[in-house]
Amino acid sequence: MNTTIKEMNGELVAHMEGRLDTAAAAQTEKDLQPLNDCEGKNIVLDCNALEYISSSGLRLFLGVLKAAKAKGSRVFITGMNNDIRNVFAMTGFTNLFEFR
Amino acid sequence: MSNKTSSWLKSLQTRSSLAILITAAVLLEGTAAIQYIFARNGIRNEVRQRARTELQVRNLEIQNVVSDVETAVNNLQWLLDWAVSHPDSIYSTLQLIIHNNPIITGCAIAFEPGYFPDKGRWYEPFVGRENGTSGKIVRRQIGTAEHDYHTMTWYTDGLTSKGGHWTEPYVDDAGSKMMVCSYTLPVHDATGRVVGVFCSDVSLEWLADLFGHHGNAFTLLASRSGRLLACPDKTQVMTTTIQEMAAKHSDSMIGVVNANMLAGDSGDAEIKTDDGEKSYIYYSPVEGGTGWTMAVVFSDREIYRGLRQVGFNLTLLILLGLGLLVFIIFRTIRSIKKLQDANAEKERMGSELRIASGIQMGMLPKTFPPYPDRDEVTMYGTLVPAKEVGGDLYDFYIRDEKLFFCIGDVSGKGVPASLVMAVTRSLFRTVSTHEGSPERIMKQMNNAMSEMNESSMFVTLFVGVLDLRNGQALYCNAGHNPPVLAGAETRFIQQDANIPVGLMPDWDYTLQEGRMEAGDILFLYTDGLTEAENAEHGQFGEERMMERLRTLERKPRAIIEGTTEAVHAFVGGAEQSDDLTMVAIQFVHPIVNTAPDANKTAPGTKHLTLGNDVQQVPQLAAFVEEVAEGIGADASTTMNLNLAMEEAVVNIMNYAYPEGTTGDIDIDADYRDDTLTFVICDSGTPFDPTGNDEPDTTLSAEERPIGGLGIFLVQQLMDSVAYKRKDNKNILTLKKKITQTK
Repeated sequence: MNTTIKEMNGELVAHMEGRLDTAAAAQTEKDLQPLNDCEGKNIVLDCNALEYISSSGLRLFLGVLKAAKAKGSRVFITGMNNDIRNVFAMTGFTNLFEFR
Repeated sequence: MSNKTSSWLKSLQTRSSLAILITAAVLLEGTAAIQYIFARNGIRNEVRQRARTELQVRNLEIQNVVSDVETAVNNLQWLLDWAVSHPDSIYSTLQLIIHNNPIITGCAIAFEPGYFPDKGRWYEPFVGRENGTSGKIVRRQIGTAEHDYHTMTWYTDGLTSKGGHWTEPYVDDAGSKMMVCSYTLPVHDATGRVVGVFCSDVSLEWLADLFGHHGNAFTLLASRSGRLLACPDKTQVMTTTIQEMAAKHSDSMIGVVNANMLAGDSGDAEIKTDDGEKSYIYYSPVEGGTGWTMAVVFSDREIYRGLRQVGFNLTLLILLGLGLLVFIIFRTIRSIKKLQDANAEKERMGSELRIASGIQMGMLPKTFPPYPDRDEVTMYGTLVPAKEVGGDLYDFYIRDEKLFFCIGDVSGKGVPASLVMAVTRSLFRTVSTHEGSPERIMKQMNNAMSEMNESSMFVTLFVGVLDLRNGQALYCNAGHNPPVLAGAETRFIQQDANIPVGLMPDWDYTLQEGRMEAGDILFLYTDGLTEAENAEHGQFGEERMMERLRTLERKPRAIIEGTTEAVHAFVGGAEQSDDLTMVAIQFVHPIVNTAPDANKTAPGTKHLTLGNDVQQVPQLAAFVEEVAEGIGADASTTMNLNLAMEEAVVNIMNYAYPEGTTGDIDIDADYRDDTLTFVICDSGTPFDPTGNDEPDTTLSAEERPIGGLGIFLVQQLMDSVAYKRKDNKNILTLKKKITQTK
């Protein structure tokens, strides 16, 4: 699992690549830490290369969303594959996030 | 000790030291003051005594002279009366008197006006020494109109007095210019009528030697009328009266002089000058007819000068002593405080060491027998540290029907060794959960410990894995004492030379293999046993140990207790010098194969064992993918299976095995009749994941709790999820109908 964060067009884009399972969750949580300093900038979670996500990963996404909302930022998810979208749908996470 | 207590103690110390200081100061100063008062009174009495003596001595001296003159002159009465009747013999008589009485400087007979009609109105024949006592003797008639003696006091007084009479002292202007005093005696004619006055002059120059300064006092002498006859200031003699002198001195002295001294009293008085200086005056009259009075005056400052000096020195000494006392008290308080602090520190260290000891002992398995529900293996172990905490360790646990065990000895003793011991034991647990082979366990532990080995501490370690199914024993010995196998014979097990753990990274440890038959006991120990010393520094040694082991009953507990007894008997009263650890493992019999085990090897099923570590999730993923591939599931299904299994297993890892505990999770996969079945089995605390409430997926982000999703996903993804508790195990069964695509 690889996570990189870049600032593009005034937005913080987190590019996530690989399997976000429970084993990878702890490291990924650290990697996503900079997003907490979004200071009102919108956040984009780029899931084009995300292969897999478990509830530990969903928990991280929810954490990012809560932190961002508290600071007045919006969180967008982009490039999610169908299987993962399905997981989001099952858990009701599609209602929480905005998709691009 | 709490701050409150210490500040209370401090204030108590300060207060008691203050009390000691004040008491000491009062005592010392009080003693000094009392001594001062006594000394002062003593000196005062001494002075009074001395004054009396001084006055008596002078009185006697004066008496000597005065009574000499009186006696001499009184005895001449007849001669003088005779001379009156023989006027021609008057001069020779007078000359005789001068000649016989050296103390008399001159003498004359003054006659009544015109007693000898031929001599005129004034007739006073005189014989005397020129210039006082030493000069040659001259004769003159000194009665003239200018020297009209008939009106003079000495003459009138002398004429009327019954016998001898002393005149006021005066300066002999006519003759020697000396201070003189005259003793007069009336002279008679043949009929006994008083016809004149005999007058003998006595020089008073010798008085000057008698009076004056005498150390811390001075004496003075005054005439009847108060004229100073002798005093320290010679210029005042005869020119000043004692009244005038007193007036200069102080008002209080005037009173004393007028009321007492001139009245002829004796006594003493304290007088004060106008500038506050104090003196004591002692006075008494001179006995005899002169009417003189004398006094001795002591200056207060002078007589007490010595005492004051002593008092000053004493006060200084006392202050110095008190200063010293303050210094000593504060030094004592400080050292007491230091001692208390040191004790508190020692106490704290001691209690921390006791806690550390508890923690350390808590790391070791200490419930024996450890597996009451298993009869394949039994064991017993003890660890007795030489200090509160030690560097020995042992550990064991069963995983996959294999007994993993180790025994080790960290170089050094005490706290540093105990820290390394704790690290070693944790590493053993961590590494051996995913490594099954002793030499690989050893290598990983060695690498990990070499990396962080700043203090160059090392561990001799023995790691073994005993397969409980067949008695096969794999082991690796990193420089530890060779364990003893008590089987058909009692012998050390073979061992390769491997370096202790922590010395050099990347060392390739060698694996050795042995076998335990049913009933065999493996006896592990540390050098605390073989090197146990008695008072004569003899060591227990391997031979004694082997000898003992051969005779003991083949039961782990009996072996440990028997050996302990033997080593105690050998050591006697000597202090334990090293940690002493012993573990005995008895392989009772191989595991009898059970039905589930048979299933494991059945075709179409797959098995995986995981430790409760989420880092092993990728292994689970690989397993699930293998299973999914085996039944030809599509990618999407595979991912869903993966997700369901991860959630289920992670849930168990988190809840069945609370943090800090270790345990295994066994997973069996079975596919038959288009249905894939996963059975997940763990021996952790009872935990039913299906009992959780479903999360509310309609909540907003702010309201959604973090967590609670996992088992919900499992239920969504699988067709059925069932939980049961059996044989102290949690068994979770997941089923999913999957139609094979190929």
